[in-house]
Amino acid sequence: MDLFTAGFASMMGGALLRSRVLTLLACLLIAGAAGIFLTENQTITATFYEIVPGLSFAVHIDRLAAFFMLTIAAVSFCVSLYSVEYINQYKHKGLLISLMNIFILSMLLTVAAGNTFSFLFFWELMALSSFFLVMFEYDNDKTRKAGLFYFIMTQLSTLFLFIAFSLLYSYTGTTSMEKIILQEKSTFLFLALFIGFGIKAGIIPFHKWLPYAHPASPSNISALMSGVMIKVAIYGLLRFLLVLPAELWWGLLILGAGTVSALLGVIYALKEHDIKGLLAYHSIENIGIIYMGIGLFVIFSHYNVPALAAMSMAAALFHTLNHALFKSLLFLTAGHVVHTTKTRNIDEMGGLIRQMPYTALLFLIGAMAISGLPPFNGFVSELLLFQALFNASAVHNPIIELVLIICLSLLALTSALAAACFVKAFGMIFLAMPRSAQKTHEASWPMLLGEGLLALACVILGIFSPLYLNSLGYALPNMMFIGGALLFSILFFFLLARANTRYCETWGCGLISQTPRMEYTASGFSEPIVTIFSTIYNPQKHVSKEFFDKSQTLVREGHVEFHLMRFFEEYLYMPIANAAMVIASRIDTLHQKDMGAYIAYVFIAAVILLLWVGWFA
Amino acid sequence: MIDAAIKTIFVLLYVTVAFIMTRRDIISLISTYATQSFLLACLAGLLYMQERHATLLWLAALILIIKMVLIPSTIRSIQKKMKRDMEFAYVSPTGSLMLSIVIILLSYGALSHLLRELGLGQLFALGAITGVSFTMMGLVVIFSRKLVLTKIIGYLAMEDGVMIFSMFVAELPLIIEALILVDLFMLIILSTILALGMETTIEEVHKRLQVLVGEEK
Repeated sequence: MDLFTAGFASMMGGALLRSRVLTLLACLLIAGAAGIFLTENQTITATFYEIVPGLSFAVHIDRLAAFFMLTIAAVSFCVSLYSVEYINQYKHKGLLISLMNIFILSMLLTVAAGNTFSFLFFWELMALSSFFLVMFEYDNDKTRKAGLFYFIMTQLSTLFLFIAFSLLYSYTGTTSMEKIILQEKSTFLFLALFIGFGIKAGIIPFHKWLPYAHPASPSNISALMSGVMIKVAIYGLLRFLLVLPAELWWGLLILGAGTVSALLGVIYALKEHDIKGLLAYHSIENIGIIYMGIGLFVIFSHYNVPALAAMSMAAALFHTLNHALFKSLLFLTAGHVVHTTKTRNIDEMGGLIRQMPYTALLFLIGAMAISGLPPFNGFVSELLLFQALFNASAVHNPIIELVLIICLSLLALTSALAAACFVKAFGMIFLAMPRSAQKTHEASWPMLLGEGLLALACVILGIFSPLYLNSLGYALPNMMFIGGALLFSILFFFLLARANTRYCETWGCGLISQTPRMEYTASGFSEPIVTIFSTIYNPQKHVSKEFFDKSQTLVREGHVEFHLMRFFEEYLYMPIANAAMVIASRIDTLHQKDMGAYIAYVFIAAVILLLWVGWFA
Repeated sequence: MIDAAIKTIFVLLYVTVAFIMTRRDIISLISTYATQSFLLACLAGLLYMQERHATLLWLAALILIIKMVLIPSTIRSIQKKMKRDMEFAYVSPTGSLMLSIVIILLSYGALSHLLRELGLGQLFALGAITGVSFTMMGLVVIFSRKLVLTKIIGYLAMEDGVMIFSMFVAELPLIIEALILVDLFMLIILSTILALGMETTIEEVHKRLQVLVGEEK
């Protein structure tokens, strides 16, 4: 407990003194304390400050909370190390340090919250501090739009959580995390929790804020938001799901939402050319994978298959940790690329491996890990999930078995598409020739150290985690052997290919000089996939031409616009927003400059209250 | 005997509030308000004779000094020109009277069984219903009158309702009563100054202030 207190105090000190050293120290202290908690299986509950009886700031740290605190602190340490150098480019770097410290502290305290009041308080603090961080480059129009979108969605999330916690209090009569155990089934409570946490996690269809907010933030903040903030929502869902009497349809809903999010997340990522937008869509995909694990846990628990339920939960938790590591790594490397090239469009990059080989290597590790390739950590957690899905027959219900097999096939498709997407991303950013005139340089050593630690964790967890998991009874392959075999195969084919390679200029359709515009583009790469999934993308082409003659035979100039449908924005968000506007305009007619009108409203409300008291109360 | 006197005062209080709702003559309005305050002070005195709470005696004295003398005389000294208030909104004086009958019946219907459950005697239940009705009728006066001065009378009628309710149901500590009276006294002075003349409506003040602020976007 002392270590935690010292860590929280250091983080607070870092925020007040704007000290990067204190941030690093705080992360180390909290990671250390959480690590001890995990190994020793301790639980602590303490009340810090009681505002009124029954309403207090309290902490409750058990193994689940410690796991998430370790994840947050470890990733925050690497991000803070990276930020030592990265934030120097900003004018108000002191403010950025303070806000970042408050943001990290609020995430940690949300996870450590001992009652629903503390949880909601720190959840809101997390939402507000992250909102200010999203708006940090507020002079950009897109940033302001992203900030507004994020603010509305995050407040909506808080509203649903408030409803859920109120219901929970009415059922149990307590706000304490430790004492909340609910016997009766409550659909409304579950739905409120599902929507509240789903919005923050970025699950489809509540995901729309994510591709706006993550690219708009400074890259170190994107890494924190995508790497750990959305995991706080996963923690919240798990924390309350474990104390509620779950029903089968809850599991099916979570599994369904997870599968749809995983598949659509990667499909949307494939057509994205903004590197940070692409990574944001992959966050949706990976949150979907985590949700699949949680959904499977509920389903297997319902059918009383504890071994598979535990495997699904292990997959979900391990993927939570893994995603936090490789997504932060990818955002940090992408952040340096964006900073040095001054663009987020991957079609304007290319050939960066020559100027920044270390960054390229680190990005490659992150890309392979997120694509679920061995021997990296992403592979292990996805393999656990695949194994759980392969055992669908254990539920002895043909319909549920069919559902699980469909989810299995869609997860396989998701993994394949994720690999394709990162082939595109790595190829377009680092390989071939530069597509625009850029003066780029390698990242400084603190930035590389922060990224390097995350990459090292991806490798170590990938290789050594199966040893630990196998000791618990799982059957995972020896990753050291697989990694060695893969490395050997790659080296073999690379050397073989190099021996038979003939270097010459590509045929340029008869043109004498070739320009970077003739290179393979991200649009070209994703064109076959856009064609395959045209039902989802619903591409629309608008062609306008101007002619020299009236009979329209000689074209003077033409203009082509290519749009992909934003399904959820057009068919879900906009109708809701329009309905809200209509209701608001109706209510607006009640607004008058006459004070007497408002008094009359008070009078009518008093009459209604009297009627209610007299005949309905 | 005391009960009968209290019931009589209730009837007289209803008459005064009916006058406040319908009178156009400003001087008469102020006099009616002073009469209502006197009746309130009598009510507090009668209750003291029944309950023997010194607080009620203090309350009666405060009502006499502030609500019967100080506030009416302040309003009289501020307003010089205005003689009549002819401006009504939403409901006419006759409509207000009809509405107040509905309010009394509604309050009785809504609160009678509730107050019975609380174990209040018939007289005290009647006092509570009268208090709520007065508050509601005060609201009607505020939104149905346009001039600031008559709106102020509405606020005062509302405050009387709160006072009657507290006397019969939940006796407020004297200090709170005193504070309410002082607040009201300040409200009258401020509203009068803000009104920039007794013939002004709140909307006219808004227009005058808008000249200084500029046009609304």
